Amino acid sequence: MRPLTLQRLFLQCSLLAVVLFVVVVIALKLGAVPVSLYGLGRDLISVLLHQTKALTSDYGMIVIEIRLPRILLAIVVGASLSVAGTSYQALLRNPLADPYVLGVSMGAALGAILALIAEPHLALPVWLATLFTPLGAFLGAAATVAAVYFLGRREGQIDSGTLLLAGIISSSFLSAIIMFLLTTLTGHDFRGMVFWLMGDLSTSLQSSLRWVLGVGFLVATGAIYTTASDLNLLLAGEKEAMHLGVDVRRVRLVVYIAASILTGLAVSVSGAIGYVGLLVPHVMRLLFGSDHRILLPTAAFGGAIAVVIADTLARTVVAPSELPVGAMTALVGAPLFIYLLRRRIA
Amino acid sequence: MRRLTHLTLRRVAAAAASVFLFCDAAIYGSQTTPSPLQTPPAYRQVTDEIGRTIRIPQSIHRIVSLAPNLTETIYALGLQDRLVGDTDYCDFPPEAQQKTKVGGAINPSLEAIAALRPDLVLVTKNLNRLETVQALAEIGIPSYATDPQTVDAIIASVARLANLLGAPETGTVLAADLERQLSALHDRLSSRPPRRVLFIVWTEPLISIGKDTFIADALRHAGAVSVIDSSQNWPQINLEEVVHLQPEFLIFAEPHAGAAPHAADAFAGLPGWRLLNAVRNHRYVTISDSINRPAPRLMSAVEDLARQLHPEAFTEKLQNDKDNAPATSTPPHASSFAPTGNDAISEEQACAR
Repeated sequence: MRPLTLQRLFLQCSLLAVVLFVVVVIALKLGAVPVSLYGLGRDLISVLLHQTKALTSDYGMIVIEIRLPRILLAIVVGASLSVAGTSYQALLRNPLADPYVLGVSMGAALGAILALIAEPHLALPVWLATLFTPLGAFLGAAATVAAVYFLGRREGQIDSGTLLLAGIISSSFLSAIIMFLLTTLTGHDFRGMVFWLMGDLSTSLQSSLRWVLGVGFLVATGAIYTTASDLNLLLAGEKEAMHLGVDVRRVRLVVYIAASILTGLAVSVSGAIGYVGLLVPHVMRLLFGSDHRILLPTAAFGGAIAVVIADTLARTVVAPSELPVGAMTALVGAPLFIYLLRRRIA
Repeated sequence: MRRLTHLTLRRVAAAAASVFLFCDAAIYGSQTTPSPLQTPPAYRQVTDEIGRTIRIPQSIHRIVSLAPNLTETIYALGLQDRLVGDTDYCDFPPEAQQKTKVGGAINPSLEAIAALRPDLVLVTKNLNRLETVQALAEIGIPSYATDPQTVDAIIASVARLANLLGAPETGTVLAADLERQLSALHDRLSSRPPRRVLFIVWTEPLISIGKDTFIADALRHAGAVSVIDSSQNWPQINLEEVVHLQPEFLIFAEPHAGAAPHAADAFAGLPGWRLLNAVRNHRYVTISDSINRPAPRLMSAVEDLARQLHPEAFTEKLQNDKDNAPATSTPPHASSFAPTGNDAISEEQACAR
């Protein structure tokens, strides 16, 4: 492992930030409604100067009100999933660990579907009604995380093999419940629910929810980053890390909870977007090495870039219709995963 | 392990999606049913709406309906005494809920159907599955499939079904009645430019209807045209595109009997949605969920929609001879926040009788 310098960290992060910026500009330009690069630049500048009234065209408003929030959502969701995946992989010392293997996505999907079923029967005030589904998804994710955590313990200790198995079993159990609900519900309720299983970023979020998402992401990622050097030592093995003075129990708890918060928040607004949490950390490890002090921030950028690209494809390939973004990530992710796997064997 | 879970996830999504969203993509093969064991006196051969030739008893006394719209049609034809079983979703008219249930439309229990010893099972292509029809054929139960894609086809389908089930007179009367309502609407609306509307099936994600659905056709008869021109039946639509197209009205179907349509109000504050002139001007229309069912009751939803979209057309010339008596005496709804009119409900019941 090369010694970390602040300069190198800064250099690599700014490189990725530039890539992200370029991707975002392209994503802002592309969409169902065509926008010229000049108009886009002018509109963005007037928004930055808080002169929203200067936006004369509807196109400017479309970009600012629909496209930009969606891209920002893609950035936060992608970064969350990727950081969570990186943390789970380090924590469980298993390259296959990611938010979905641990059952969190199915828990969130089930929570969302239950909320969608219950909502018409409860007389909820409007503000709560719009938050109800993401809330249900988050509670579902949190409950699954807790259940998997307790199922994954052996003799009071987290055992990574047991935890992974607990995740997989919970996941298939939850998907059985979802299947049951979807086949017993009336056909009409159902169309929107399917999208929770395939990932979707088209939701218009309430601004309060945006704040929760943004702050949650920063706090949880910050918490994980404080354990970055401990995670490096954990790669050598838990005993070894303990002998080197790492408080393994504390690290495990902090990382597990923070990564689960990241996953829960991401899934509660976007449904199940697969492969990002699994693949992006692997790619970043290949590019930048496995020092978590660099890997965590680069994975955040990488996840953001990946999901912004995937979502841009999802909303442009068959425009004006849309594809679920989860289908895009799986379409690219699965072959890429096989390629990485073969490469490692060779 | 990873791939296993993903397989499960995709399978759930794919199975669910294919079954519910794109079930009308399933193509029923043409086949004849093997003859049952005993040979009752007389059989006849008929061709159903998807081109299958089936052999059915001369007179049909025991019917199982596997779709809510077919159950409604049977009641509308006054043949409910012959209906021996229907699905969990057959909730209209309310009496239909009392019938023996054979399960869902997608996954009915073959055993439950067989136990009812039906002369004929009614299915509809855009809801039921080919596998169900095949499995029924295997055990010698004939099934007749309807496949109406337009309002005219729904009326024709009702008449054909009436013939098939041995109630041609009722069918003729009902079809003529529906035709009359349709042409009365056409007379009122023909001089008016159609309203450009967005029919909202689901909001998050935004799903609307394609141009080839009977709902799109029903909108045309109500003096409206969907801004979405997709050949998919249930396309997920980009909100940008909707802002670009600026529909004049947003149309919602009531989720279920009487649930509050607060969804419309929640939009006003959402980024993106507030760019729609229809949201800024509160131009929402809520109609009965009978718009989602290709049955006679659809006509009342069409008329209700027409009244809400073109109130002025219903104030000018009153043609009482054509409409059901109380309908025209009620003042037309204002276009904003208009609930489903009572007149529409009474007509629905009239249709159902």
